[in-house]
Amino acid sequence: MALLYRTWFGFSGWLAAVVLWLVLFQGQVLWWQPAALWALFALLWLITRKLGAHPGALPFTAALVFLGWIFLTRLDPHLAQGHFQGVLLGSGFYLLGLLVPVCQLPLRRLWAWAALSLLAITLIWGETAGGARAWLTVAGVRFQPVELAKIFFILYLGKHLAPGTSLWELAFFLASFCLLLAWQRDLGPAALVFLVFIWLSLRQAFSWYKLAGFLAALGAGFAAGAYLFPHVQTRVLAWLRPWDYLGSKGYQVLQGLFALNSGGLVGQGLGEGLVQVIPHGHTDYILAIIGEELGFLGTAALLLCYLGLAFWAARILQDLTGGEQLTGLGLTLLLHLQVFLVAGGILRFLPFTGLTLPFVSYGTTSLVAQFGMLGLVAGLSRGGEG
Amino acid sequence: MRRSFLVLALLYCLLLGGAFYWQLCADLGEHPANPRYYLVFQQDRGPIFDRQGKALAYSEALESGYRRSYASPSLSHVVGYFHERYGMTGLERLYHGELSAGRSLFTTLDLELQKAAEELLGKAAGAVVALHPATGQILALVSAPYVDGGALDEHWPDYRADVRSPFLNRATHGLYPPGSVVKPLVYGAALAESQAEPDQRWPDGGAWQLPGGTIRNYGGRAHGEITLDQALAQSSNVVFAQLAVELGDKLLEYYRLWGLGQEVQFELANLAGLVPEGTSSQYHTAQLGIGQGELLVTPLQMAQVACALANGGVLLRPYLVHEVRGGLRMRQITRPQVLGQALPPALAEKIKGAMVLAAQEGTARTELSGEFAYGGKTGTAQMGSGPDHAWFIGFAPPEAPQVAVAVVIEHGGTGAQAAAPLGVELMRRAVQRSE
Repeated sequence: MALLYRTWFGFSGWLAAVVLWLVLFQGQVLWWQPAALWALFALLWLITRKLGAHPGALPFTAALVFLGWIFLTRLDPHLAQGHFQGVLLGSGFYLLGLLVPVCQLPLRRLWAWAALSLLAITLIWGETAGGARAWLTVAGVRFQPVELAKIFFILYLGKHLAPGTSLWELAFFLASFCLLLAWQRDLGPAALVFLVFIWLSLRQAFSWYKLAGFLAALGAGFAAGAYLFPHVQTRVLAWLRPWDYLGSKGYQVLQGLFALNSGGLVGQGLGEGLVQVIPHGHTDYILAIIGEELGFLGTAALLLCYLGLAFWAARILQDLTGGEQLTGLGLTLLLHLQVFLVAGGILRFLPFTGLTLPFVSYGTTSLVAQFGMLGLVAGLSRGGEG
Repeated sequence: MRRSFLVLALLYCLLLGGAFYWQLCADLGEHPANPRYYLVFQQDRGPIFDRQGKALAYSEALESGYRRSYASPSLSHVVGYFHERYGMTGLERLYHGELSAGRSLFTTLDLELQKAAEELLGKAAGAVVALHPATGQILALVSAPYVDGGALDEHWPDYRADVRSPFLNRATHGLYPPGSVVKPLVYGAALAESQAEPDQRWPDGGAWQLPGGTIRNYGGRAHGEITLDQALAQSSNVVFAQLAVELGDKLLEYYRLWGLGQEVQFELANLAGLVPEGTSSQYHTAQLGIGQGELLVTPLQMAQVACALANGGVLLRPYLVHEVRGGLRMRQITRPQVLGQALPPALAEKIKGAMVLAAQEGTARTELSGEFAYGGKTGTAQMGSGPDHAWFIGFAPPEAPQVAVAVVIEHGGTGAQAAAPLGVELMRRAVQRSE
């Protein structure tokens, strides 16, 4: 706990320096936002402790959120405004997750049905943007239902991935979930949820046959996706041979690599990067911009923040058992595998999947959902202590 | 649970490794698809100055970005050019890091002399190099034809189509047989090996028959019994062939002492030219002694030789950039560098005297000989076909040389007709400027 306090104070000093820099040298009018966010995170810290939960995620989350806020300010202050509002809304969902004892709710299969219904509704009434039918407007609020559906599905898995559940049932829900997403042409979340499923299933009972089977299924799904969807082929080619498609398919991947490369050790400096050439710089590709302007040290600090979140989750989960532990692990993996898919795509370990970088990228729905997930995991630690 | 998080930590290590590779190990800064590479062409850049502080290259502000301009078109072979489409060459390329960081380059060039050499060469293909004898600094370096670094957009297709290769820097990369301009070196070698007494007279019947071939004087003229000074002044092939045959393979060692066949230690080039490993026959040696055979030199090498002749036999490294100024390391100054002593000073003085004689009453005599004192040696290098290449090397004034030059004019005819007047006029202007 002492270490956490020290992290928190160190972070506050760093933040104050950034805010001073913004006010004094940049004439930045949004200077009050980081101050408000700091107060918000301090409040969340107090509430979390009061409720007997482990607050260790908050310093790391705050660091990531501020990093995102700074870079969005640098790209377009309107985006930072949206990020700020997203965090305010997200903190509400964090508290919700903290308070609702989600594992004790008698919802069982309803989680899966809720996830499937959300996707089905999106498929029928949704709006298309960026090639995927992924947006829904309810009562004037426009959001991406898949961010919620992911969580619901993991909650279902946490309850039902125990021995005794029929394999057919699992297969049915999983296949429906992935197919509905494929229908929406939104394959990133499908891949993410499938990976979490594989991980959880292998953790429950490991066998090499199962691993081979899952890998085969993953490969088959991937091949089918590449066969059916031209944009998947594009991304695979851009991943394997970006140098052959400099100006077309490989453009985004290469611009990301060029940006990272020009960062070097300490970066070009905040505001000095060539950001206008990177497509989706404020969402999917924000890591490339951070890498260019803050260098390897910045990228490493960012990744270490996520690693810190993982350690926090490990601390909580080691005291839990059964369904609670599985749910907590599922939610944690949902966050961290998303980081791996995005960063791995930018660093050319994987084909790019087009997901947001949690807590950093612009995107209110994903921000809110990630705060909710964090709250749920933190909420699990309440049960452990109280 | 522990295992799950171990795997997660490993995944993060993998990402860290990937970031480490792409950010610190990969080198994509100059990849043609990287827009950052082209940005430097839009940015302001340090100027390049001549020895008086006149700008040779400077960035002109446009409505958006900057454009590089040059004081004279012939500078493209030295200063180089810097163009978004056609890349960078010369000093612009060599000092790109410094220039793009806003530092300025102070060169040893004299812009007025450079322009004079450019004007004197006119439409001819060839090269002129003028050095400052005491230091080895390059005062002027012209290779014609040249491209105009400030007008590449307009003329690029013409330059590409030009059969005379305007992109070739003849001064540093043109390989020519030297012809008679190597005779001072043969003379020096003979003196150093004590094979020739200064007052000894040598028979010259206009031709010398050897097994394998006959060495003839230019125009077949017989000079009778002459001293070596006279032989150099009249450029007697017969006498120098005799000296060479007596020297044998040692001759080639002396050539190397003067930097021939050795890599030039110059910023923009390190071409060695060609001096054969050994001689195969007396006729072969005789030919090498009059600058024919397979001997090949660059004009820069001959300028280095002229410089050493003017400088008491001290071979200096020719250099172009005197100083880099600005930035964190405020000043970096290049010092003259001695590469070796090609000949004892006393013998070098003797050769100098013979070259002054050549300028007064020999082949290097020009219309200016009466009013302007200099030393020189002409050369006429025979090619397999086409008119000969005209050579001239010289220095002025003889007692305390301020300038040493080498001139080559491709297919210009004899050195006396084509190259010597140009070289002498250039030296006259250089001496005027230094007074």
